Amino acid sequence: MQCPESLRVQAHFDREVDAVTAADIERHLEHCIECQELYQELKQLRVGMRGELPQFETPGALRTRIRRSLDREDAAAAPRSHRPGATKWRLPSFWAGAASGLAAGAMAAAVAFFFLVPLRTTSVTDELIGDHVTSLLSSRMIDVISTDQHTVKPWFAGHTDVSPVVADFKPQGYELIGGRVAYLEHQRAAVVVYRHGRHIINVFGWAATQRPIAGEKTRNGYHLVYWKAGDLQYCAVSDTSWGELHALVRLLQQLAARDARS
Amino acid sequence: MDERRRRFEAQVLPYLDAAYRFARWLARSPADAEDVVQEAMLRAYRGFDGLRGSDVKAWLLTIVRNCHSTALRQQHQRGVMVSLPEEDDSGAIPDLVATGLEPEGESIRRDEQLTLEGLIAALPHDYREVLVLREIEELSYREIAEATQVPIGTVMSRLARARLVLKKQWSAQAEGSLHAVP
Repeated sequence: MQCPESLRVQAHFDREVDAVTAADIERHLEHCIECQELYQELKQLRVGMRGELPQFETPGALRTRIRRSLDREDAAAAPRSHRPGATKWRLPSFWAGAASGLAAGAMAAAVAFFFLVPLRTTSVTDELIGDHVTSLLSSRMIDVISTDQHTVKPWFAGHTDVSPVVADFKPQGYELIGGRVAYLEHQRAAVVVYRHGRHIINVFGWAATQRPIAGEKTRNGYHLVYWKAGDLQYCAVSDTSWGELHALVRLLQQLAARDARS
Repeated sequence: MDERRRRFEAQVLPYLDAAYRFARWLARSPADAEDVVQEAMLRAYRGFDGLRGSDVKAWLLTIVRNCHSTALRQQHQRGVMVSLPEEDDSGAIPDLVATGLEPEGESIRRDEQLTLEGLIAALPHDYREVLVLREIEELSYREIAEATQVPIGTVMSRLARARLVLKKQWSAQAEGSLHAVP
C-alpha cells in the first residue's frame, strides 16, 4: 500500500507547494523510507526524461509551411480591413515574361538582396549568440576568474551597469567559473559564466526595457532562454540540452525570488 | 508585415519548438505531428487577440492538444483504426501490467520498446500527455489542468500513476535487457 503522503511528496518534488508545506513534507521524508524511495525514483525518472530522450527539432520545411499558411491568412483578412492603398500588387505579364528569360538572374539577385537585408539589422539574439561564440573562441571568456560569488558580484558593480544574481551551483552541477562584461543593447551587460560538464553556459543580465523578452529560441545550434526578474532582463545561452539549461534557469529564478523577498 | 503579425511572431513563434516537441509525443508519426502543429499555429494566429495575460506556452500547447484530438477523431471517423484517449475520468485505470506494452495504432518494433522513448510512446494517451507536459515542457499543475481540461487533483493522480508505471517498466526493461538482447 502506498503512503498516504505520496501525492504531497510528488507535489513537493514538482515545487507546487508553499514553504510551510514543503517544510512539513521534508519532516515526513526524514522518517518515511517509502517516500524517500519515491523521491529518488521521481528524480531518476526526471533525469532520464530530460537527458535521454531525443530532442525533436522543428523541421525547417514545417516553419516554411507555417509562414505560408499565416501569409494566406493575412491575405484573406486584408480585403476585409478596407485599408486605403492596400491594393494587391501584381506582376505585370511583361515582367513575368522577362523574368523567365534574361532578367531572371537580375531578379534572383534582387530577391536575394530583399531577403538578406533584414539580417543586417542585428537583433538582441544575434548579439547574444555573437558574444557567446566569440567568448568560446577567444581567450577573453572570463574577465574575472572566480568560483566565489562574493568576488564576482562586486566586480560587476565596478565594470557593468547592472547587478545580476550570482551563485555557485556546483552541488547541482553548475559550477560558477567567472564573469565578464559584454556590450549589449547599448549598455554594459554582466555575463556570469558557468560550467556544466563540458559545456559553457553564459548568463547575460542587462537592464530590462519597456518590452521584456520571454521565451526560448534555438539559433545555430545554441539554445537561448530569456526571462525577466526584477528590473533585469536575463538570457542564458548554451549548447547544452534544453533540460540542462532550464534547470540552471530555474535555480537562478529561485535565487532572484529569494533575493527579492529578503 | 502588419503589427498584429509582428506581435504574433514575437510572442508565439518562440514556442514553436515546444509545440512541435509536444506534438511529436502525442502523434503517431512525424508527418501527423507536422500537420497538427501547422493547424495549431493557424488557430493560434486566429485566436491570438483573445490571449490575455495567460502563459503563452501553456496556451499554445493547449491548442496543439486540441488539434491533435480533432485529428484523431477525424481519422477515427474515416475508419482508421486508432484508440481514442479516454475522455472520462471515472477512476477506471487500465490494467497496465496485464496489457503490457500495447502501443496506440501501429505496433512499435521490439527494439524501440526497449528505450525510455519507446516506453513513453507506449503509455496510454492520458498518462503520456500529462507526463510530457510536466517533465519535458515543465508546465505547472494548474497549466496542465487547463490544457487537459481536468481538475488539478486528477492531474496529480494521473501524474503519479504515469510515473509509477513508467518507472516500473523502465526498471523491468533495465533488468530484462540483459538477456533480451540476442
